[in-house]
Amino acid sequence: MNRILLADDDVELADMLVEYLDQEGFEVDTVHDGKAALEKSLTENYELIILDVMMPKLNGFDVLRQLRAHSQVPVLMLTARGEDVDNIVGLEIGADDYLAKPCNPRVLVAHMRAILRRSESTTPVSETADILAIGDIELQRGARRVLLNHQPQTMTSTEYRVLEVLLENAGQVVTKQDLSDRALGRELSPYDRSLDMHVSNLRKKLGPLADSEERIKTIRGVGYQYTRP
Amino acid sequence: MKSLFWKIFVSFWLALILFAGLTLWITSYYIEKSRSETDTYQLRSNTIEYLKQARDIAQTNDINALRLWLEQLDRRETIPFLLLDENANDLLNRDVSLRLQQHLRRLERRSRHDDDDDEHEYPRPHHRPIIINNQRYRLMPDFSNVTLSRVLNRPRIIATPILLAAIISAIICLLLARYLTAPIGRLRLATQKLAKGDLDQRVSPSMGQRKDEIVELANDFDYMAEQLQALIESHKQLLRDASHELRSPLARLQVALGLARQRGDDKTTKELDRIEREAERLNELIGQLLTLARLDTKTAEVVIEPIELNELLEQIVDNTAYEARAINRDVSIVETVPVTIKGNRLLLSSVLENAIRNAIHYTDENTSVEVSLQNDNEKSDWVAITVRDHGPGIPDHMLTSIFEPFVRVGEARDRQSGGYGLGLAIAKRAVELHGGEITAANQGNGLSIVIRFPIKK
Repeated sequence: MNRILLADDDVELADMLVEYLDQEGFEVDTVHDGKAALEKSLTENYELIILDVMMPKLNGFDVLRQLRAHSQVPVLMLTARGEDVDNIVGLEIGADDYLAKPCNPRVLVAHMRAILRRSESTTPVSETADILAIGDIELQRGARRVLLNHQPQTMTSTEYRVLEVLLENAGQVVTKQDLSDRALGRELSPYDRSLDMHVSNLRKKLGPLADSEERIKTIRGVGYQYTRP
Repeated sequence: MKSLFWKIFVSFWLALILFAGLTLWITSYYIEKSRSETDTYQLRSNTIEYLKQARDIAQTNDINALRLWLEQLDRRETIPFLLLDENANDLLNRDVSLRLQQHLRRLERRSRHDDDDDEHEYPRPHHRPIIINNQRYRLMPDFSNVTLSRVLNRPRIIATPILLAAIISAIICLLLARYLTAPIGRLRLATQKLAKGDLDQRVSPSMGQRKDEIVELANDFDYMAEQLQALIESHKQLLRDASHELRSPLARLQVALGLARQRGDDKTTKELDRIEREAERLNELIGQLLTLARLDTKTAEVVIEPIELNELLEQIVDNTAYEARAINRDVSIVETVPVTIKGNRLLLSSVLENAIRNAIHYTDENTSVEVSLQNDNEKSDWVAITVRDHGPGIPDHMLTSIFEPFVRVGEARDRQSGGYGLGLAIAKRAVELHGGEITAANQGNGLSIVIRFPIKK
């Protein structure tokens, strides 16, 4: 059973979702405001947190921002339909994925499973080397840690997966479809900007290469490429 | 003097009085001056000069030359100079006043005492006669005949004051006209902008210290704009709020549906599918309404980035062509140029996709939707994307209204397409947000949607 925290101020909806997710094999705790969501997510050990943006006391963005200062637990944002800006803001401050609300619960479950797959170690240790090191960067697969110049970097599990896929193919172009399949665990949809946002977050966190060359290049109309030094 | 009525009345009145007064004053000044000059040195020396000229001409014994000279003198001088023979007849046959006739008789009587024409006989040199063809003439100024009509008949004399008055009054009238029409121009500009949808237009602040009917009109305009803005705002707010509020029950409905499915009763699967489909449609509609509402509020925050329009268009045509071929239709790019504009990728994609999907939907079977991207013929530094279908087109009177929300051309056609009449309305708002424009036109058989964007350098 995966332990999940659901933060949504719609009590009726939350109750029904608990019932639905229980059938799908999730153990769900619910909170109905932002403050409680932040407290509970910091004190207890969840595998995934579902955050509604519109909540009393503290909105979803603020919860996420404060949460990210302490924890890299996977977060799925529920954003308001028609507010595309929210999606980008959410991803920018470190959400792993987003869904426009109202959404089909089946879609919600699919997204949740994709995130959980990412955070669980998907690459068996025996198959590939335990440590993937290219230039100044080092990926410790067992511990899911990223070292830049031997300094550990904080990173969400989604960002980790994106970086891992790019590093495995360093020097080669990874198409967006491919990256979406392998790193996000779902197909690329036409207007999905989440991949771009995750890459942009990685760029910000890692900075350029030592010779100030761009670390992750955008190959326009195709995908991304990690520059092999 | 605050009212416009009094401003116009008083300024016109003053200008007229000023003009008339100035004219009268200057003419009378001339007349007065001429009269007062009777005995002045200036007049006398003038007279002596004229006498000398007349005498010179008389020596040639050419009476016609003398007549010509006299006519010229008459045109030039305010005071009429008469050339009288012994019987008091003027050489130019002008009227001779009684006073002048008496004066002449007196002179004649005096000169008859001695026929000598010696200068000493005449204490006043201008009384000396002019002899031509043995006929004695005397040059005499007729002061009593300096009349207003005579002055007015000599344009050269009054041209200067009239010109001066005309210039002064022209300046006054120009300033007045400017003062009156400038605020009307501002009002007109604001009205035009308001009509185009810029509800933030206000004119009172630009009126300064004025207090007249135009300012009252400006205040009324502002009040009207405010009311209009509030009304439209509340209308949009209603749409926005309603859509927002609809989402909560819809979210619950979807979860409830999911629960019903989990309970797994095979008998109701068909109905549940139907409910799910309808819920999805409702969801879609709410999504579109909220997008529209968001684009309507000027505060819409969108990420602006440089976008290669030709590449974006190619991508979308590729995607939609796949769907079109499945229903025996096609989409192709017939013309393209490399163009980069600044905009929001998501919005621009949805605009282009909407227009192209619409065209695919209406184009006849086995025809192709033609898409072109070219530099705009009408405006330099603009690009135009044309999406042309080979379908039935739409009635001319609907060419602009199809961009309004919930307007559909034909009930039946759109029902089956599952559209809500929001796609083009959203497209219009999105295009306008990019400073562009979107229009529709019937072209032969088929409809052309033209989307124009400015290229910002």
